[in-house]
Amino acid sequence: MNCFYIDKLLPMILGLMLFFMPCSLLAMDADYCLMCHGDTDMVSGSLLIEATTFDTTAHAILGCTTCHESIDDEHPNGDSKLSRATCLDCHDHLGQEYMMTDHANYATCGDCHNPHEVRAMDAMAGYDMNDKCFKCHEVPAMVDLHKQWLPQANLHIAKLPCITCHTGSEGYEIVLNIVAKQDDRFLSRYELPDYQTLQEISGEAGILSLIDNDGDSFITLRELKAFNRNPKYRDLRLAGTMVPSDVSHDLSTLDNRYDCTFCHVSGPQSMQTSFLAIPNRDGGYQRIQVEQGAVLDALYGTPDFYMVGTTRSASMNIIGLIIICGGLVMPVGHGLLRFLTRKNRQH
Amino acid sequence: MSENKKVYLQPTPVRIWHWLNAFGIITLTVSGAQIRFPEYITLLGNYKSVIYLHNTAGFVVAISFTFWFFYYVFIARSMANLYVPKVEELKTGLLRQIKFYFLTYFLGWENPHHPTPKNKFNPMQKSAYLAIMFVLMPLVSLTGIFMTNVEPLRGVIVMLGGLKILMNFHFLLACCLIAFLPTHMYLTTLGHTPLEHIKTMWTGWEEGEEEVSGSEHIGTVSTR
Repeated sequence: MNCFYIDKLLPMILGLMLFFMPCSLLAMDADYCLMCHGDTDMVSGSLLIEATTFDTTAHAILGCTTCHESIDDEHPNGDSKLSRATCLDCHDHLGQEYMMTDHANYATCGDCHNPHEVRAMDAMAGYDMNDKCFKCHEVPAMVDLHKQWLPQANLHIAKLPCITCHTGSEGYEIVLNIVAKQDDRFLSRYELPDYQTLQEISGEAGILSLIDNDGDSFITLRELKAFNRNPKYRDLRLAGTMVPSDVSHDLSTLDNRYDCTFCHVSGPQSMQTSFLAIPNRDGGYQRIQVEQGAVLDALYGTPDFYMVGTTRSASMNIIGLIIICGGLVMPVGHGLLRFLTRKNRQH
Repeated sequence: MSENKKVYLQPTPVRIWHWLNAFGIITLTVSGAQIRFPEYITLLGNYKSVIYLHNTAGFVVAISFTFWFFYYVFIARSMANLYVPKVEELKTGLLRQIKFYFLTYFLGWENPHHPTPKNKFNPMQKSAYLAIMFVLMPLVSLTGIFMTNVEPLRGVIVMLGGLKILMNFHFLLACCLIAFLPTHMYLTTLGHTPLEHIKTMWTGWEEGEEEVSGSEHIGTVSTR
C-alpha cells in the first residue's frame, strides 16, 4: 500500500502541482506586486494600481511579469530599470492600423489606454468609450466642428461613442443602458448611474432583475415593455446607443459615415442585435442579450431609442398606409359615381 | 334676378400662403418618405441632403402657417367667421352639404353653398379645415420642432412619453395630412370646369353671379 503511494500517487500529486504552478504563480505575482502597488501609502501616481479595476482588465490574467519581465528579487532596490512590453508586442494588427492614422502623431497607445485599467469593449457601458476621446477633444469644440455638416450634431455627440463613426468597423450593435433621473426637479436629466445606485434600487435580487424578470439572463421584448411601463421605475429609463461590433483602430472618417448611410440607411435589419449593459461591482459592465429586433417595437420596447430610417415600426407603417389609402376613398369612389352620372349635370 | 360677375375670393396673402404651403407639404411628403424608407426611396439625393430639405421645408411651412394665422386673426379679422362652423351650420348645414356631395350632386342639383369673401367655405369645408388647420398642422409642426431639437428638448420629450411615441405621432399626423391631399385636389375639380377652383386660387377671382336683391352675405354667389 505504501509502495502505491510512493510509486504512483506522489508523482501524480507532484505532476499536478507542477501543471498548475504557472497559473498560481501568476496569480501570486499580481497579488504580491499589488501589496505595494495597490497601497497608497507605499506608491503614488502612475505606480499606483487600483486592484479591483486591474482585476477586470484583460491584462490581469497575464500577471505582472509577462509585461515587466525584468523584475527581479532586488526590486525595488535594484539598479535595473523595470522593463515594459510594448503594446505592439501583442496588439500588432491594431497597432499597424493605428500607426497609419493622424492620431499616431499625437498620442501613443498609453495616452488613451491605461494598460492597468483598459477593458474590453463589451465590458463598457457604451458612451463611456468617449472618455478617452474627450481627454483631447472637448465636447463643445466637437459639436461646433460637426455642426458644419452633421444634422443634430449635439444629439449625435451626446449619444454616440465617437468610434461608431470613426473606426473601420463594418457593423454596429445596439447597447441599452439603464439611466436614472438625477433629481426631483421638473425636466431633470437622466444619467448613467453607478453600480451602487442601481443596487440600492434593485435590492437583493440584483440589478439585472430590474428587467430580467424570469432570471434567465436573456431580455425579452415583453420584459422590456414591463420595465418601461412599471410605475415603480418611473425614474429609470433605457437609453440606447450604437457601438462598433468589431474592434478597429482605423480612426479615419469613412464616406458612409459622412453621408449617413452607415447607420440611417441600413434598414431595420441592422437593428436586430441588441444588448443590455448593466454595471458590475468592479466598475465594469456585463452585456445581456436582448431579443432579436426588440428595439423596433413601436412604443414601449425602447421608448427613447429611435433612429430615423432604421427603427421604423412595421405596424406603424401599416397604420399609416391605411390612413393614406383612406384619403383615396373620396376621389376614387366619388369620382367613379361622378363619371357614371355625368349626364345628369349637362345643363 | 342675377347677373354674371367675378368675385374676388382669395386675397393675395392667402394665395401666396396656399401655394407656399402646397409646395412645402409636397416636399415634406416626398422627403419624409425618403427619410423613413431610405433603402427604397432615393429621389432627393443622399440621406443628409434629404434631412436638410425636410427640415427646411418644415420650417417654411411652419412660418407660413404662422403668417396665415396672424393674417386672418389680426389683419383680415375673419378667422372665426371663415373657419369655425356656427351652431346652425353644424345642425343643418353639415347634413345638407353631405347630402349634396354624396347624393344630390350625382342627380345634377346645385351646390347649396355659395361662397362669398366673407363665407368662403361650406360647413363640411369648415369642419375639415378646422381639424386640419387648428389640430393637425400645429401638432405636426410642433412634433417636427421637437424632432429637430431632440437634445435641447430631451426633458420635455421624456415627459411626453419618449422619442418613439413622439416620432410615431409625427408620422401618423403626417399620414393624415397626406390622406387629405387627394380629397382636397379632387374637390377642386368640382367647379363648373375641372380647373375653375385651381384658377381661383391662382388669380384670386372666381366666376360667379350676383343676386341683385340679395344681402351682403349672399350678394355675391357662385353658380355651383
